[in-house]
Amino acid sequence: MSEKTKFFILLFLLLLSIWLLWYLQKNAQSILLG
Amino acid sequence: MKIVPKDNAWRRANWALLIAIIGVNMYVIALPFLPTVSYRWQTTHKTPLIQNNKPVSVAKASVILAKENPRAFHADAEHDGLVIPRMLLDTRLIEGPEKNSFALLNMGAWRIPFASSPDKGGNTVIAGHRFSYTGPRGVFYYLDKLRVGDEIGLWYQGKLYTYQVATSRTVPATEVSVQQPTDDTRLTLYTCTPLWNPKERLVVVAVPKEAS
Repeated sequence: MSEKTKFFILLFLLLLSIWLLWYLQKNAQSILLG
Repeated sequence: MKIVPKDNAWRRANWALLIAIIGVNMYVIALPFLPTVSYRWQTTHKTPLIQNNKPVSVAKASVILAKENPRAFHADAEHDGLVIPRMLLDTRLIEGPEKNSFALLNMGAWRIPFASSPDKGGNTVIAGHRFSYTGPRGVFYYLDKLRVGDEIGLWYQGKLYTYQVATSRTVPATEVSVQQPTDDTRLTLYTCTPLWNPKERLVVVAVPKEAS
C-alpha cells in the first residue's frame, strides 16, 4: 500500500473520529450516559 | 538545496494524522472518567470543602468558593442555586417548562416545574444529568458521593433553604413516584445511574435541617 493511499485512509478515520466526538456532544449525552 | 523525497512528506503527514486520531479518540474515551479522577484528587489533596472526609457547612462552602473563584457563578440571595459541599457543587437553579426539558437539563440542575418549590413545602424535585459531553459536564455527576446527614443548600427567591440528606437509593427509570407531591417538606434530587447504562435513577431525598 502506498503512503498516499494510507494518507487518505487515515484522513477518513480522523474525520470519522471528529464526527463521533460531534455526535456525542450533540446527541448522545442522555442516550448513553444520562 | 536538499530535496525531500515525496514519499517522506506523505509519511510525515500520515504520522501527524495518526497522532490526531489517537488524540481525538483518547479524549472521547477519557472524558467521562476525568470527573472521578478530579474528585479523588481534590478530596485528598486540594479542596478545603471536605476535611477528614467530612464536608464543611453550606455557609462556609459558599465563602470558600466565592473566595477561590470570584468570577464564577455563586448561588446567593440574588442568584437561585444549589450549594452542596460534598459534591463540590455551587450551581445555578434552572427553571422552565416541561416541554423544554431536554434543553433545560443540558443547562444544569432543573427544578421540575410540576413539583413543588421550597417556599411552598411539599416535594421540591431537581433533576440533572450525570454526565454530558456538553457543558456543564454533568451537574449531578457526584450525586452518588452524598451520604446521609450531608448538608444541601438551596437558594430560592432570595432565601436559603438548608436540607440534610435522609436517604439515597436507586430506582428503575419507570419509577415516577419520586416526583409525586408529599405531605412532608422535602427536597428530591435525581439523576441517571449507572453511568454507562442509565436504566435506573439515583434518587437522593433530603429533609429540612431543622426538622431532621
